[in-house]
Amino acid sequence: MSKNQILEEILAEVDKHPEIMSRRDAFKYLTMSPLAASMLASATVGTTAVSASNVTGKVVIVGGGLAGMSTAARLRNSASDLDITVIEPNPLSTSYQPGQTLVGGGIWPKSELVYNRDDFVPDNVTLIKGSVTSFDPDNNKVIVDGKQEFTYDQMIVATGLMLNFQAIKGLTGVITSCNPDNAEAKKTVGNDGVHSIYFQDGSEATWTGIEELIAKAKKWKEGEPKLQAVFTHPNTPIKCGGAPKKIMYLTHAQLEKAGVRDAVELTFYPNGGKMFGVPEYHEAIVNQFKARGFKWNYKHNLVEVDKATKTATFNHHWTEKGEWDEDLEEYGVELKSKKVEVKYDFIHVTPPMKAPDVVASSKVGSSKGWIPVKKETLQHVKYKNVFSLGDVVAVPMGKTGGSARKQYKVIVNNVISALENDQKAIDSTNTKYAGYTVCPLVTGIGTVMLAEFNWTKKPTPMVPLDPTQERWIWWLLKVYLLKPMTQYGMLSGRA
Amino acid sequence: MIKKLSTITLAAVAMLTLSACSGEKAAETKTYSKTTAEVYQQSCIKCHGANGAGKAEKKTPRLEDRTSAELEQDLFDVKNGGTNQSSGTDHEIMEHNMQKLIDKGYDYDVKSMAEYMYGTFKK
Repeated sequence: MSKNQILEEILAEVDKHPEIMSRRDAFKYLTMSPLAASMLASATVGTTAVSASNVTGKVVIVGGGLAGMSTAARLRNSASDLDITVIEPNPLSTSYQPGQTLVGGGIWPKSELVYNRDDFVPDNVTLIKGSVTSFDPDNNKVIVDGKQEFTYDQMIVATGLMLNFQAIKGLTGVITSCNPDNAEAKKTVGNDGVHSIYFQDGSEATWTGIEELIAKAKKWKEGEPKLQAVFTHPNTPIKCGGAPKKIMYLTHAQLEKAGVRDAVELTFYPNGGKMFGVPEYHEAIVNQFKARGFKWNYKHNLVEVDKATKTATFNHHWTEKGEWDEDLEEYGVELKSKKVEVKYDFIHVTPPMKAPDVVASSKVGSSKGWIPVKKETLQHVKYKNVFSLGDVVAVPMGKTGGSARKQYKVIVNNVISALENDQKAIDSTNTKYAGYTVCPLVTGIGTVMLAEFNWTKKPTPMVPLDPTQERWIWWLLKVYLLKPMTQYGMLSGRA
Repeated sequence: MIKKLSTITLAAVAMLTLSACSGEKAAETKTYSKTTAEVYQQSCIKCHGANGAGKAEKKTPRLEDRTSAELEQDLFDVKNGGTNQSSGTDHEIMEHNMQKLIDKGYDYDVKSMAEYMYGTFKK
């Protein structure tokens, strides 16, 4: 896709919502701003030159979501003689997941998200429509659907993760974000005020839920107890760490737009004790919460939802001063906890997440499930010809498309080097993942804070602007630019 | 068209490079008062043992079968109190202890500590 085509597509998107931004303003931003120019450029031509390799060998990629399919495309572009196979059971695996927040918040229709896997399979890449049912890394092979065997020289694991709703008492289903096979979760999530944008159908239902909340709020009278909107964040690593807050910001914005914000109290219940790992962003978010009249209670982990009485139960935990510790030469701490019940009219559940069981229980998994790799090279800690990226990999960095976008280039370079050099010296000579990730935190309709950071937990903005500010330009990036950049740039292996 | 796009890319890259030079300081290098070995041998060893086997009465987890990459991630989590925005950490006790130990001068680079522990435990 050329720059002009992408620009046209963005402006067509902008036109759908003249109340948020006019075409004229958007055009001005996009053409005048060097920031937008650089992003457009990176969506249309690769910023790093891919050098062609004539290496041969068999590469099996387990999982064909954004991470796996983009890796396949870039490998294809980089080494035309490689034998590449992608194993992916979900027909909608390449759907645009970052847009689920916007669907849940009533900005986009669900149709904006749905992309067919089969339209994104790169030329001369074999797609196997099935699921890996066992890993045998000692013999360099995987089994698909219990019967078909695939051997490999190099394996890349990009299975993504599972949304474990059933770990919460009263909720059901262990599903993925965009696999339409989600009936089990929909029995309890996506209705009666219990919602989650973490799966595609759930995001559409969330907007219905917010509309129902608005309708209830319109009947509310001064003096009555306020309606309660509750937003949770679990005790596991999660994909898109910002989404639990983004849907809260958008609910707030829609309530305001409907003129009923006063009828509803919005409260955030995270398992952790802060808003963000980077102090600068933590502080910025706390200020944004205060400015919007949000409440928040740290160290509350959702454990049960009783739909009959509309009650959410949290495990509230904290530490207290413990006994004198001779080794530490200080008082230690003791863990304390109690159950806290909270009534809700609307609850947004961010489910606990885990690696797929087939990965966790295999030799490539780990005690926590996630695939352990050397965090710079993304090479497996035990199997030199196994690499991993995306949501299933264990790196101390957010599970986002922005992380995958940095990781897949590292993997492609390292897999090719491994094949060319017979596995030698990946550590010392090759491309390293610097830990960059990005969280475009939607803070309202029309504003985004672009939180970028790396291993050092310091803000690492790509442009010299105060990164803690909410800006229109990042709304443009999040809502209009990132989708074409992902669908046409990354999934074709270029950006 | 290709040529035009390349020019845009070059301009963008130039702009980013320039801003990096003018706005950012060079990468920070942190210095520590003790070597990684000193920190382990003087402090960590009291609870985690010479071989990472831990101390049953303190419920210290066993560390000796973890690879250095896994240890690195655990240490990263402990020092930062979790690695997700608001997920928290399952190392709450060690998170507290670590901050006390840092105050006492037992600070270290996560990567070199992980490599030291892995190398020492294997012996």
